[in-house]
Formats: sequence, structure tokens, C-alpha cells
Amino acid sequence: MEPSISESRRDQTDLMLTKDLSVANLDFQRFRIEPDRLTQGKHAHYLAIVEAMLNVYRNGIGLRRRDLHRRVQNLFTDIPDCPPRRIEAFCKLLDDQSVYDDSWRKKAPALRKEVFGKAAPHHPLVQTADSLFESTVSHIQQRISSELGKPWHEIEDQLYADVIEFHRLKEFPGYPDGRALLSRYNVAQVQVALFSALSLQLRVSGNFKQILRAIRLARLMHTINRVRDSIFDIRIDGPASVLRETRRYGVQMARFLPALVASTGWSLEAQIAVSGRLRMTLELRDTDGLRSHVAPETEFDSSIEQEFSNKWGTEPREGWTLFRESEFLFAGQKTFVPDFVFLHQTGVRIYFEIVGFWTPEYLDARKKTLFTFADYPIMLAVHHLAESQFSDVCKSHRVISYKTTLTVKPVIEALNSFLNAS
Amino acid sequence: MNHIQADAPNVELTFVSGTLVIRGVSGACLDAWFPSDIWVYDSRIEAFRCDACHYVSVIRELQSRRVMFTNMIGAFRDVPWRADEKTQLRPEQVDAVEAWVNAGQRGCIVMPTGTGKTEVALTIMRYTRTSTLVVAPVRDLMYQWHRRILQSLGYDAGIVGDNVFRVAPVSVTTYDSACIHMQKFGDKFGLIVFDECHHLPGQLRRDAALMSVAPYRLGLTATPERSDGRHLDLPQLIGPFVYDLPITKVRGRTLAEYDVVRVPVHLSDDEQQKYDRYSEQIRDYMQIQRENNPDYTWEDVCAESTSSPESRKALVAWLAKRSIEDRAEEKLRVLEDLFRLHSGERCIVFAGSNAMARDVSMRFLIPCLLNHCAKKERIDILDGFAAGRYPAIVANQVLDEGVDVPAAKIAIVIGGMASSRQARQRLGRILRRSGNARATLYEIVCSGTNEELRSRKRRRHETFDGTIHQRKSKGSD
Repeated sequence: MEPSISESRRDQTDLMLTKDLSVANLDFQRFRIEPDRLTQGKHAHYLAIVEAMLNVYRNGIGLRRRDLHRRVQNLFTDIPDCPPRRIEAFCKLLDDQSVYDDSWRKKAPALRKEVFGKAAPHHPLVQTADSLFESTVSHIQQRISSELGKPWHEIEDQLYADVIEFHRLKEFPGYPDGRALLSRYNVAQVQVALFSALSLQLRVSGNFKQILRAIRLARLMHTINRVRDSIFDIRIDGPASVLRETRRYGVQMARFLPALVASTGWSLEAQIAVSGRLRMTLELRDTDGLRSHVAPETEFDSSIEQEFSNKWGTEPREGWTLFRESEFLFAGQKTFVPDFVFLHQTGVRIYFEIVGFWTPEYLDARKKTLFTFADYPIMLAVHHLAESQFSDVCKSHRVISYKTTLTVKPVIEALNSFLNAS
Repeated sequence: MNHIQADAPNVELTFVSGTLVIRGVSGACLDAWFPSDIWVYDSRIEAFRCDACHYVSVIRELQSRRVMFTNMIGAFRDVPWRADEKTQLRPEQVDAVEAWVNAGQRGCIVMPTGTGKTEVALTIMRYTRTSTLVVAPVRDLMYQWHRRILQSLGYDAGIVGDNVFRVAPVSVTTYDSACIHMQKFGDKFGLIVFDECHHLPGQLRRDAALMSVAPYRLGLTATPERSDGRHLDLPQLIGPFVYDLPITKVRGRTLAEYDVVRVPVHLSDDEQQKYDRYSEQIRDYMQIQRENNPDYTWEDVCAESTSSPESRKALVAWLAKRSIEDRAEEKLRVLEDLFRLHSGERCIVFAGSNAMARDVSMRFLIPCLLNHCAKKERIDILDGFAAGRYPAIVANQVLDEGVDVPAAKIAIVIGGMASSRQARQRLGRILRRSGNARATLYEIVCSGTNEELRSRKRRRHETFDGTIHQRKSKGSD
């Protein structure tokens, strides 16, 4: 999968801080970069401040952006230990979840054109008239005001109403509570540090499919290596990374982070280009307590998988134990994570993939993958309507067909026949 | 080593995400053929990769060794220009074009602002007749290129940037968009024009050159030097410096003679009081800090502002001082005097901040060119100024580089940072020849403030030789 910095419109969960709002501690002893992190222990006093910030916005409908930011800044006046950027970053996060009135986007430029056009013949507008220059500011203002049929102070107020700082707050969907805003801040600071990342190194011990899907969604490249049994290292970078150190994929890595944080069983090490030739390492793991603002991906690809998993249960049946998505299969540089792995008490391992009835393209892609992994013991459950298309797969893989639900019995039978054949 | 042949008959060269990928050739072959070590084995795709900018040398090498290969990178589109009226070029412009052609159609041209870099580029585009991407520093310059291409070549170019993504065989874009999108369309353009090319060597921006296969490359700038020394990379990214026209050579010939007049203004009593109070606050704070630590500097204040509310207050005081200098009321009065003095002449005002630009706009009811202006308004302002519909306009840094301001004779700087390039570019705005009129640049600075120091620093450049100091502005005091 080749990456690209997508220009499509992003939804709210994809909003990030900008680089000038990054706050991080640089540890020159260990060459570690530690993005700003507000914790309940060290920064207990922040909980009250973020609640107050939310209230500034909740009670600030109709106010200008600039005034909202000033009010937020004022909350921090006497707070020790607060970088100005931290305040600005909070303002950005609050703005991200705000709806501002931008109805002046077209009206204000039109008004300007009209007002300046009317004033131009009288240039220069002077404070006090004399024999040479008789157009005073107040006189021209009055004239324009009566021509446009509204008082001058109104015109003055509207003339630059399209400027971002002067936008007025219309709605504030906001954050559920102060803690949610703090969590978002902490993740956002890691994200903005990753903007300068050269590469990411992940160690993964679960949730493979979920993490791999997020990597692909962020259009990054990856290389997977097995460390031992079901622990894998994934190196994440982009096409040009083999040619030279480049930060160009950092934004995509940052975009990938919330999905990673939402899953479990991982640790991360990122090489960050701090400045010039200075490189530092950013370390993070699932147990660090970051909370993602995106929901974890649904555990299962389809309800059929979930149903089947529930039916089977956690206990072994006839010597077979069921594990979910716990392994990468390799064929050259291609990888495949089957839905389930069956482990028999004798040590025999059978992979199990459930193929739903989807589009012809999906089925074709699935088939292609299965041909690539023909050497692995993979068993398939195929929806009966798609079965005919999978007839050629039968040569290399065992195929079971199902109608509405997948029951346990035919699966056990198929597993046992596998066992007897080997 | 000529005898080494490709080990497989199917050699294939493709453009992938801003890189070239070659398949069907062994590493040993590539090592022998390309001593410069450009190819890197990429295990993720099991093939060799190099930067797209090596395209021409790769093709030449393969062809000279008679290697049969499939080139998946299509031929560049021919662009037949509709308009064939020829602009009359001045001798130095002809020299610049010839130097570029003779250098193998790759290279950088250094010409001062106002000496017609754009015409040089348009002539080169007319000459190469191939698909072309023009890269400009900011979006209003991008739109300006779009207009110039339409006017003189009769081509409605595509636009990539400012939330528009419309690629055409001839397109205009900004550096930021180019570096993001080049991985998508780096194989589409035969010629790349880098306007104000001193912007190119930034760590990410250089991807705009590295990720393109364009065999023909043109860099244009008035000020190639960069403080980080990276302008030394320009020959590699674009091509050698092929032509250099120093500003001193064209002064008074292509460019009009110009004067620089400095007008000192004083803060009002109220402003002065506030200014002094802030200064005192900062001084006191520094004094207390230095009692503990004699080496305490302003940098420490900035560093400590993250943790100490006291130093944060000092920093805020400093910013407030800057804002008083920037928006001193007296400046608006002096501005009125200058407008009176030059009534009937086109005046352009440069403010130090958006807020001050809007202050000026509101006070004189003149159009204000800011970053947020949409294309339509920008064009209305610039066209209106050119046509004389608007006698005066105010701008912030937007006009710093290369934006064509129609032959203004009077420029007034009422604030801004002390960089010499910024000042030089600003001066360039008013240097355009029109008749015999001398251009004047006014600098309105608050006397007795830091702004005065910055103004002195600004004038240290050669272009400012011969500054006339005006002791008192008309009407002040």
C-alpha cells in the first residue's frame, strides 16, 4: 500500500494540533522526547481549569473567537507551571469542537468592496478639512452609512466580520467533561510530536488485525518481523524512507496514533527529528494510560465471527482451543492475519477464516490472498451464495459452507478430518 | 563494464510515490552502471528505488548501454500555446533565457525584483512547449502566475493549493502543496519553474524537486542566499546558477531611482506612559533575576515563561510594548500627511501586523490585502489599484515577495520585522519603471523605541545606501 497525504475532507476525530503548539520535554541525558502530559497526580489543579475552560465556551455563544481565547488565557494568569503554548493548544482543541458563524465569509468582502469603492473618490480622508482636502472621515462615514441604510457602528462591526479571530461562536458541542478534554490534550501532544517522526517501531502482541488496518488506513508502509511466538515487530514508514531520512510521513503517523491508543497489546518507539541533526526517541505503550478519543474498532469483522466465537466459548472442544487473530502469516513480503487460530492439544495448528457474502471485488481479493497462502493449513467458512466462486480454492484449502449462521459441529468435523489427514 | 547486460529481459522503470522503481536488473548491474550510488534496495517491495529527480540520468545511462526497458513513465504532454504574440524582452532578459538554454535547460536565474523574472519564465515556457508546473511561495503569487500564463500564453492553467486540486498539463501550485502532492503527479511535468527558489531547500519542501522527474528545471530568485546555507543545494535540486544580475547594475536603468525617507514619530503621552511602565516592569524583573544570576538574559525569560507566571508577565509586557510601537496613533496622523503630500499618486502602505493593517483600512477606508483575502477580493484590490480605482491600499507581509503591484511610486512602511530580505522585497514593489518619476519609500518609525533599532538594522543592506533622514515630519510636533 502506497501512502499519500490525502486531501479529502476529514471528520472531527482527525483534527490535530499544529506544530507551533507542540509542548515537549527534551531529555538530553537519555535523548528522549516526552510530549507534554497532564496527569491527575501532578496536575490535579488542571481539572478545575479545564472545567472552567469548557464553561467559557458553553457560556460564550455569540462571542468572538478572540475574546473567547482571551477569557481562556485569563484563567491561567496566576497558574504556575504553564507554557503559553499549552494555553494556545487548549484553545485550538476547544475550537476544534466548536461551530463558529462564518456567514460573513461572502458578505463582508462584498461590504468592503462597496464601502471602499464609495470612499475612494474622496481619498485621502482627513481628520480636519481644509481648503485642499475637504473630505473628512466622519463626513464620508455618515454619507456611506445613509447610502447603505445602517448606522456606521454596525458597518464598522461587519466590515471585517469574516476574519477568523472575529468569528462568533454559534454552537459548542465540546467535550463530555474536563477529563475528556485533558485526555484529548495528552494524545494531541503525542500526535504533534510525531509530525517530526522519521519512523515508528511497534511491538505488537495482540489486536494485529485492528492495528494493521489502522496502518493501512493511514496509508503507511510497514515491515513485519516475528520476534517470538505471537510477538511481532512492525516498522512503519513510507516509500522514500529507504532513500533518506524524511519527516514527510510524520503527519500520517500522527493520524494513525488514536487508533493505536484505542487498542491494546503494543509498545511504540519513534525516531523524532527534533531540530537540525538532533534525533530523540519517543516511547509509548498501551499501559501508559493515554485515552483515545476514537472508539476502539469493533472487535469482530462481522457478526458471524462474533456469534461463532461466542458459541465455541473459551473451553477446548475435542482437544481444540479457539484463539482470535493472534498470528501473522508470511508469504514473501505479504502478510495475512486469519480470523481465528485453532490449536489442538497435540500442537497442531489450523487457521480459520470466515468469508462473508460481500462484493465480487472483496471475494476476488480474498481469493487472491488465499492462493498466496496456499502452503498454510487454512480452513474456510464460505457463505453458500459465494461458494461457487470458491470452488477452485478447494484444491488448496478446506472449505465449509454456511447459510445464516455458522454452527460448531461442521467445524469440529472438518478440524478432525484435517487432523486425521496429517 | 559495457558488457554487463540486464539479467532479465523485462527491465521496467516506474514512478511510485515520488520515487523511481526499477525491476528486472540486479544490484550488481546497477552498481556498475550508476557509480553515484543512487539506487537503494527496498526489501518491502523487493526492488530498487531512487529519487525521482534522477530520471534523466537514469534514462540516459540505460539508453547509452542499449538496455531494452519498458518505461512506464509516459512522454510529457506537448503544450501548443495559443497566443503567439512575442513580448519584447530587454537585453538582460534575453541573456538570462540564453544562459538557461545553454546550460542544458536546467538552472537558476538571479534577477532583482522588478526586472521581469516572470517574462523570462514565460519565454522559457513558450520555448520548451512541454507540460509545466509553476511553484510559488504563497497562494496569491500562485494566482498571479495563473493570470500571467492566461494573459501571455492564453492557457487556463490548473491549480493545486488553496483547497483546490485541479491538475492540468500546465499547473500552478505553492511550495507546501507541491511537496505534499509531488508524489502523486511528479511524473507528469517536463518543466518545473521554482519561483522565489530560495524557498525550495527547506527540509520538507525540497521534496518538490526530489520527487519530480522533470528534465527541465528553472529557478528564479532575487535573493538566493539563505541564512542556513542550504542555497548551496540549489544546483543539485534545480541546476547551476546560470545568470546573475546584481541590483546595482540595473539601478537607475531598468529600475527607477528611489529615495528612502525616514519619518520618526513620537508616542502619545498616554502611549508613552504605558510604554515606560512596561519597560520598567521588564527592567525591574530583569534586575531581580540578575541579582541571583548575573548572566540572566532575555532568552531565559522566554524559556522560563513556561513555568513561572512572573516571567510570563514580563513576556506579556514585552509583547505589549511591541504592540504600542506597532499601532502608535501618531503613525496614522503621519500617514494622513503623506497621503495629502502625495495625493493623486498611487500609495501602498505596509503594516507590521494584521491589526495595524485593519486600523489603517478602517481609518482611511482603503482596501486591505491580508492573508485571509479570497482570490476574488485580491484580484479586485490589485486590479482596482492598477486602474486607479483605489488610490491607496494597505497590506501586511502578503506582498513581501514577487506580487505584482502595479507601478506604485510611493510605498510607506509603518512597521515590520528587521529582516533585510523583507525590506529589499518591499522596496522592490515600488521600483518599477514608469516614466521618469522617482520612487519614494517612507519608513515611519517610533523614535526612542526598539522599532528605531530595527529600522537601522533593516537599512544595513546595500539597497538602502543613500537614506535621507527627515528630521521632522510635516505636521508633527
